[in-house]
Amino acid sequence: MPNHASNYALAVDIGGTFTDVVLRSGSGQTSGQTWVDKTLTTPESLDIGFFRAVDSALAKAGIEAAAVTDVVVHATTVVTNAVIERKGPLTALLVTDGFRDILTIKDEHRYEMFDPQIEFPEQLVTREMTFGVPERVLASGDVLTPLDTVRAAAIVDDLRAKGVVSVAISFLNSYLNPANERAMRKVLQARAPGMYVSISSDVAPQIREYPRTSTVVMNAYTTPITGPYLDALRDGLRKRGFVHDPLIMLSNGGVIGIDIAKKFPVRMVESGPAAGALAAAYYAEVLGLDRLLSFDMGGTTAKACIIEDRHPLISGNFEVDRIYRFKTGSGLPILIPSVDMIEIGAGGGSIASVSNLGLLKVGPRSAGSTPGPVAYSRGGQDATVTDADLVLGYLSADNFLGGDMKLDLAGAEKQLAKLGESLGTSVRDVAAGIYRVVGESMTAAARAHAVDRGIDYRGVPLFAFGGAGPVHACYVAELLDSPMVIYPPLASVLSAFGTLVTPPRLDLSQGALSRLSALKWDDVDRIVAKLVADASSGLASAGCKPSDIQFQFGADLRYFGQQNEVTAWFDADPRQQHDAARVRAIFEDAYEKLYSLRLPEVDVEIVSWRLVATGPVASRDSKVALQSAAAKPQGKRSARFGANDIETPVYARKDLAEGQTLEGPAIIEERETTIIILPGWRAKVDATGCIMASKE
Amino acid sequence: MDGIELEIVWSNLISIVSEQAKALQRIAFSPIVREAGDLANALFDRQGRMVAQAVTGTPGHINSLAAAGRHFVDAFPTQTLAPGDVLITNDPWLSAGHFFDITVMLPAFHKDKLIGFFGSTIHHTDIGGYGVGAGARDVHEEGLWIPMLKLYEAGEPNQVLHKMIRANVRTPDHVFGDLAAQVSSGRLACKRLSALLDRQGYEDIDELSEEIISRSEKATRDSIRKLKAGTFHGESSFDVPGGDVITLKTAVTVDTDEGTITIDFDGSSGPSPYGINVVMNYTHAYSTFAIRSCLDPELPNNFGSLAPIKVKAPEGCIVNCKYPAPVNARHVVGMYVPMPILKALYHIMPDRVLAEGSGAVWTIQIQGKNAAGDPFTSSMFNYSGGMGARMTKSGPAATCYPTGVAAVPIEVLEASMPILFTKKELREGSGGAGASVGGDGQVIQWRMRTDSDWLLNAVASRISLAPEGLGGGKPGAAGRFLVNGKNASEARKMVMKPGDEVTLETPGGGGYGAPRA
Repeated sequence: MPNHASNYALAVDIGGTFTDVVLRSGSGQTSGQTWVDKTLTTPESLDIGFFRAVDSALAKAGIEAAAVTDVVVHATTVVTNAVIERKGPLTALLVTDGFRDILTIKDEHRYEMFDPQIEFPEQLVTREMTFGVPERVLASGDVLTPLDTVRAAAIVDDLRAKGVVSVAISFLNSYLNPANERAMRKVLQARAPGMYVSISSDVAPQIREYPRTSTVVMNAYTTPITGPYLDALRDGLRKRGFVHDPLIMLSNGGVIGIDIAKKFPVRMVESGPAAGALAAAYYAEVLGLDRLLSFDMGGTTAKACIIEDRHPLISGNFEVDRIYRFKTGSGLPILIPSVDMIEIGAGGGSIASVSNLGLLKVGPRSAGSTPGPVAYSRGGQDATVTDADLVLGYLSADNFLGGDMKLDLAGAEKQLAKLGESLGTSVRDVAAGIYRVVGESMTAAARAHAVDRGIDYRGVPLFAFGGAGPVHACYVAELLDSPMVIYPPLASVLSAFGTLVTPPRLDLSQGALSRLSALKWDDVDRIVAKLVADASSGLASAGCKPSDIQFQFGADLRYFGQQNEVTAWFDADPRQQHDAARVRAIFEDAYEKLYSLRLPEVDVEIVSWRLVATGPVASRDSKVALQSAAAKPQGKRSARFGANDIETPVYARKDLAEGQTLEGPAIIEERETTIIILPGWRAKVDATGCIMASKE
Repeated sequence: MDGIELEIVWSNLISIVSEQAKALQRIAFSPIVREAGDLANALFDRQGRMVAQAVTGTPGHINSLAAAGRHFVDAFPTQTLAPGDVLITNDPWLSAGHFFDITVMLPAFHKDKLIGFFGSTIHHTDIGGYGVGAGARDVHEEGLWIPMLKLYEAGEPNQVLHKMIRANVRTPDHVFGDLAAQVSSGRLACKRLSALLDRQGYEDIDELSEEIISRSEKATRDSIRKLKAGTFHGESSFDVPGGDVITLKTAVTVDTDEGTITIDFDGSSGPSPYGINVVMNYTHAYSTFAIRSCLDPELPNNFGSLAPIKVKAPEGCIVNCKYPAPVNARHVVGMYVPMPILKALYHIMPDRVLAEGSGAVWTIQIQGKNAAGDPFTSSMFNYSGGMGARMTKSGPAATCYPTGVAAVPIEVLEASMPILFTKKELREGSGGAGASVGGDGQVIQWRMRTDSDWLLNAVASRISLAPEGLGGGKPGAAGRFLVNGKNASEARKMVMKPGDEVTLETPGGGGYGAPRA
């Protein structure tokens, strides 16, 4: 029988391994009901997996494409994959003559002091494909040397002859005056109409030539892949009868129309993880919590993100493809607004070892998913966090992935026993030690991340997901003095779900260095007006009415003489106030919050203006089917808590009823993860489907 | 203490000092601190032994701070310290080797009992006197000397000292901004340590410190015992501004019975009349850095792991200078300290060392007038040459070793003064040939957009003596410092004409292994 509900919304999240889909009905009898599916990602042609997921969800719900009258949203790893696997087409870089080696020289920094054997990441454009063009803009923004169009034309002809597909243009001081970059683009478009072009004054108009160049290069490198990919999705959806073109999830925690995404693919880099953070923000709203720490622990890494005032924190820069222990400086920097997330090398696959100081260490080496933990029986020989979790009784050898994968307990014990010998302790004590040490290292990273942003992390509830997150979250919460852990429903497709609760949003910025004492308000008015106009037309393409758009105005500021900026947000449009003292006061409040310091004698300098434009969030209720009768445990197993082995009840999450409470210790199993409720904690099933654990 | 418990508490100590460092670096005015991470933070026990250290910046600071801890404890016995006290010095011989580096120590109290200290050293924007450069004739010309004193007493500022500092530096707001940051980040660390002790149920850190130091010392000795015993020699020569040639000689003795390494600089050059002399603390810092990065970069840095490495140099020589030798630009020689040691270590661990590279970064400061006629003094900025090649990997181009400073972006410099860069590119082929090739140096070129004369203070080295290759590798290219196309190298500030064009060509790194035919 056909399903007569309507106003469906559809979300697809393509990750490295899986493509997840969530379909939800918005009105009618089944309002708020969801259908989910997980299929394998098809790396050779991502759109195959995309449509496989879409067709499967429609079939499960028994509806036609035309019923999806609400949004179709998409998060994708396409850009990140293209960069990490270096599979972009031949790309060239045009720079100011005399500065051809910018990608090799970078900022000259050796990112790791003590290891003389380090290497730097391979750049996306080679030296041979970088060309100097005679032109120069001064730091005042005045043009010293207009573009030499004759040389420019000759270079374009050379690029064509070499078979270049895409070109990045990054001239010195172009963030102040884009005239020469635009003139160069014009020459390119005239002489080589098929070539893709990205200019740095469009992509990231900010001071500091290396990160700006790195950003525009990544944009140019991925444009030729992303454009046809997004077109194929749009055409495929139209052909199936979908009413709307898809919206694309950006790293800043907003969705945007296809045309902008095609032009600025570099803004999609953290699409999937940003969607996960948005899901956390959604639950903060639904549960009435102002702050959350989202904690996503998977096979190789753990990611944490702070949700403040029910929004994820956003940062202005990011690094892709770090090649040395997630260390800053070992990747490719990009200046894009991005959900501010810390990623550390601690996951289920992290390897435990005893150091030459006799200390138990966990990570940073990881067994990943291949060969994986010893317990996976895929050839892994090193004891990992997952092995410890199994030996502690937290994971079930027989019910992992719903029983689809049998875990080798004896093998895990054997490897852990070896570590026990060097530490002089038992197998289960070693396992408990690994559990504690990995908890401590994740806590330290989360704490440093919060302190770095002037945020008091104590008392902030944790929002736990990812394969290993719910196993470790209670313990991390104890270390962070957090009284509560939230385990969301639909955790296995959380990023896809997150895209459905995301408003359209654009973050724009424009570099404009000036001391506050010498600020020219005419310039400010012009800059802010342009940001507003650009953002408005961008959101219009995502279907927003002008009257529905909200703007937030901000700036990157610092004390004159400093190098690092602090982003401060204003309470009103600066064009209406023209009040430098007010700008200063807002900066100093933000600065004091971060550093507990005010310097009243020092002038303040503005580095960039920022604008966030947000469209409306539709009412997007989400319901999860819950049982009405309280579940009994499926069984019991021995698990280690502190120094004690306790016979612990094991529940299936799908059997739990709304309002049911469970006293810790308890184990709650889902197909993709296991929730460990520690002794002293009590879990309650909320009407939203979240399991809320709180410390008694 | 078992290996699980200790790992947990120890990693907490490191995260406390790391957070302290991170906060300091972000708020510092001094460009070399924020860009290069030229700072150090550490926890000391009651005896002034360094227990834990943040992973930061440059070797010169971090290991000099380790030595400063003991000097502070000698100068301020326990009974003279109260909660809220803050100690300070910039004595070159007791801390980091020149006045710019100010060390601040906060006694940490827990339940009214002194349990240790949190220290930090950062490079300040100004310290009066000569300013940046090597031209002063003795240390007194170089700036304000702050002996070991209390900057705060029981929470109250020492007004006499505050006024003295304020009146004797050119940028008092920045200096006090940075001092305030050192104090506030130290206070935060004290609080965090107290909270950790409460959580773990400890009264003090005495037992913990003993455990950390003894295990680190044993691990270091064990690593040394695995090496080949004997005395190995290395020698490195380089020219400094003004043209003098300095030679550093080392005899590195590996004692596998004791598990110690002794580095002796006997035979090295005598003192220089310029401000490039190096105090023993700084020599010790770069020597232990060289050993540690080859021996096992993952060993922690603390009193215990530093103890088995002993450094000697004849008193009065250029790497163990005596008062009143000028020391302002001590990095010019200090950053070469690892080179002869690496050459000695080549005989026992050829896969860990690297060939000679450009060595000291080239530093520049400019003073002049802008178009409106207002005077300006730029921050110090710096450029690297190429690194030496490794056994199986080439040397990174335009990347400095042993220090790790970043270059200030061109756009930032152009926005802060009337400078116009016309070139910053690799010097192709300047890296030495070899089985692995040395890193290329770079060419940097600029002129000033001004109508007035301007002052250039450029500290360039390795202009006549190029970085040598290692194990049959060929040398890199020597550096060139040109004004209007003509060679120039001065230890003192140079007066420049408005249209003058400056070109720096930094040296290329040496190659490793004979080039393949």
